Amino acid sequence: MRSSRRNFLKSACIWATGGLYLAKVSDSAAERLAENFAAGDFADRYARLFGEQAVTDSTLIELVLPEIAEDGAVVPVTIRSELDGIDRLYLLADKNPTPLVAEFELAPLVALQLTARIKLAESCRVTLVARRDGQLLRCSRWVNVMRGGCGSG
Amino acid sequence: MSSIRVRSRREGEYIEVKVLIEHPMENGRNRDAAGNLIPAHFIEQLALTLNSQPLLTVNMAGSVSKNPFFSFRLKQAADGDVLRVDWRDNLGSSDSAEHRIRVNR
Repeated sequence: MRSSRRNFLKSACIWATGGLYLAKVSDSAAERLAENFAAGDFADRYARLFGEQAVTDSTLIELVLPEIAEDGAVVPVTIRSELDGIDRLYLLADKNPTPLVAEFELAPLVALQLTARIKLAESCRVTLVARRDGQLLRCSRWVNVMRGGCGSG
Repeated sequence: MSSIRVRSRREGEYIEVKVLIEHPMENGRNRDAAGNLIPAHFIEQLALTLNSQPLLTVNMAGSVSKNPFFSFRLKQAADGDVLRVDWRDNLGSSDSAEHRIRVNR
């Protein structure tokens, strides 16, 4: 009697932890890695994010930014694509102390016409990398920043 | 008073959603008038769900502008669908809001 109760508790415990484990795994897609947002060099961050994966320049994703940004503290950015199946976007600014500006995780219900306002520390290249079917597509734009301002970006 | 404002409206075949959040988004490199560093204070994660299903998650740091604004489009949505917005920042603060999609407005 006693032992079957113990077995029950034991298996209940295993099920419960198993459930927790599954919940954690399914959440991890959108998990924020603090390391990705650490201050550092752009090339280094880019290499750490994408490693050996092939990144293909693509005209099928569009990155719209002003050619000249008066105020680096507020730079509007629009990301557009007609492609279906893009599930993640990385937006990087190569002269920002924190090169990874934002990471977006998208459900299939989201049509890719996305806008945001970002900080650019100085004139730089802004790069968008989109993940689609595990493939990485890239598009970048040069932005001249008139007033970067201390500490923007 | 919520820090979050959400608007939605039909835009052709899509539903356009706009989210505005009141937040300083300090990256820790700015100085106040007295020359002291203003501590980093920024939203780390913004999570949007539609009817409790993950819709859009944005991970970020201090490179997103003060009072973050995002807009995006939904391929489809029904009247009364519930869009929930949650954010949390690096100092442990958070806020959330719910918005009912009105397709025909």
